[in-house]
Amino acid sequence: MEPIIEVKNLVKVFHSRGRTITAVNDVSFDVFNGEIFGMIGPNGAGKSTTFSMLTTLLKPTSGSITVAGFDVQKQDDKIRPLIGIVPQKLSLYPLLTARENLEFMGNLYNVPKKVLEDKIDYYLKLVGLEASADRYTGGFSGGMKQRLSVIAAILHDPQILFWDEPSTGLDPQTRNVIWKLGRKFNEEGRTLVFTTHYMEEADNLCDRVAVMDSGKMVALDDPERLKETTGSTNLEEVFVHFTGEQVRD
Amino acid sequence: MTIKTELMDSLIVAKKEFKVLFRKKWLVIPLFLFPIIMIVFFGYGMGGTVKNSPILIVNDDTGRASSSLIQEIGSYTPKYDGNPMFSVTYTKDMSQSEAESKINDGLYKGVLLIPHNYSDSIAKNESTSLTLLTDSSDTTTSQTISNFIRQLLSKTGSVILNIPNIYGNLEYLDFLTPGVIALTVFMGSVATTGSAIAGEKEDGTLIRMLMTPISKRSVILGKTIYQLILQLARAVVLILAAFLLVGFHMNGSWLLISLVLVIFTLGGVGMGIVMSSRVEDMESFFQLNMLITMPSMFVTGVFFPLSSVPDWMRYIAYCLPLTYAIDAMRTIMIKGQGLHAVSNDLIILTLFAIVTFTLGVHLFRREA
Ligand SMILES: Nc1ncnc2c1ncn2[C@@H]1O[C@H](COP(=O)(O)OP(=O)(O)OP(=O)(O)O)[C@@H](O)[C@H]1O
Ligand SMILES: [Mg+2]
Repeated sequence: MEPIIEVKNLVKVFHSRGRTITAVNDVSFDVFNGEIFGMIGPNGAGKSTTFSMLTTLLKPTSGSITVAGFDVQKQDDKIRPLIGIVPQKLSLYPLLTARENLEFMGNLYNVPKKVLEDKIDYYLKLVGLEASADRYTGGFSGGMKQRLSVIAAILHDPQILFWDEPSTGLDPQTRNVIWKLGRKFNEEGRTLVFTTHYMEEADNLCDRVAVMDSGKMVALDDPERLKETTGSTNLEEVFVHFTGEQVRD
Repeated sequence: MTIKTELMDSLIVAKKEFKVLFRKKWLVIPLFLFPIIMIVFFGYGMGGTVKNSPILIVNDDTGRASSSLIQEIGSYTPKYDGNPMFSVTYTKDMSQSEAESKINDGLYKGVLLIPHNYSDSIAKNESTSLTLLTDSSDTTTSQTISNFIRQLLSKTGSVILNIPNIYGNLEYLDFLTPGVIALTVFMGSVATTGSAIAGEKEDGTLIRMLMTPISKRSVILGKTIYQLILQLARAVVLILAAFLLVGFHMNGSWLLISLVLVIFTLGGVGMGIVMSSRVEDMESFFQLNMLITMPSMFVTGVFFPLSSVPDWMRYIAYCLPLTYAIDAMRTIMIKGQGLHAVSNDLIILTLFAIVTFTLGVHLFRREA
């Protein structure tokens, strides 16, 4: 299997209000082309920070990352068109309609007008938002917003998808829709990297799961093998095995 | 990335900004209406005092009457203020048109022309006339000067005072309007740029936009294009409203006004970006904005001429860019002067724009 993302000795240190926080502490791993790669870990483990660096948004303090063969620091403009990002924090323009939000996104990726219109219609329908296409997203429910966020990140036909907690705070129906989409996009040949706090989601979907804790990557393997090696019956137990019972700040 | 793609990208951003703006009805209305209301409300009746106002006396007369008149003007000190009202310069042999040009250049607030036969005529009890030119673009000072000279001469009797109107019959409104336009553009560009960015930080859309291939430069350029169009439109609406509602007359060049406002808007946008980089949400932006733009509003002579304020206040005003924008606007709109008369103002405003913009671009990071 060929790696599409290569991470070596990645470190991110934040300095905020006189405190030094090592959010990501010497992490190395590969993501293989075409796989579904899940990241789990307690709050503050460094998942989003890692995502930010993988997606060219944050500069690593040290270490190196290549995405699709490009260096994140030197060739970020080559990487951006290839990746589709669903951020942990919802980010839609409340005073634009669903369709306008998608158009704006598509335009920023330079998707040709005709292609874009067709895709918008297609994906709106796919996630059941066609009836709300011309409503302002400010009035959308959390589930509607998240479905829209997910399709906003597929319009430019990216090769790699980064979804940061796409299912948090959603009802089971919406989560179901989202993960169906994830599977579909993966079957189309795209690599999907995501984070979640729902263990059964990681268990069901992932080819491989990475467990992060306090900035370190403490485990990485396919879910079955993780369960075997830790003598667990489910991923929840694996999680506790690696990260302990203690609640994080 | 080519310049063309960057420009196209910036237009996408500008278009989006407009779309969002027009959906904020609660913002659009005050944006255009507030300055008009300000002109109408403040526009009626405002007084003020004058001190150390520079005036020129052109005395072609050598007699006693004129020297005592001059003496009186030079030493006059108003009742409630320890400072002399005028700071007088003396000369002779100057034509009225030459004197007018001194006022145009802003060297003097008033020129009193005393004819060569003045003292003779007074001595013989014949009627004679004096000419007083005032800088009527500064309505408060100009009225105070005229009133004062008129009172002074009423004691002498048979003197006729001519007060030619250099800039036409000016009212406080004429003085106020250019100032309000500059103020409006300043507050508007800083506040809308800054609050929009702060709002986008708050709802995550700014970061989302920066995750796409669009460059940081394009984002800033798009926001700038949007601001330039918006602020110029506001200025035009305001000038037209002032014309229709209170009969304001524009004497100067629209092109020159646009130039001043474009440069000033760039400075305002830069400042908005700088300020928004220091905050994480809209609410803190507005608090910061109050702190920073409020003094400009009250200190820079939008509502009263700087010649009527205490020195310390004037010094503060000279540190604020709005002061120079107001001065340029008045010089163009009331005096009808050209580029040379506002070149100093323009240089200072350009520096302001360069400094805030450079700083803004630098502080506006991809990293949140
Ligand atoms: N911009 C920042 N400045 C300072 N500290 C930060 C910043 N971003 C993240 N951190 C800190 O880095 C650590 C890792 O945060 P991160 O958001 O990556 O965790 P996470 O694994 O995504 O957690 P969650 O599951 O809650 O989303 C936390 O301690 C967080 O407070
Ligand atoms: Mg996170």
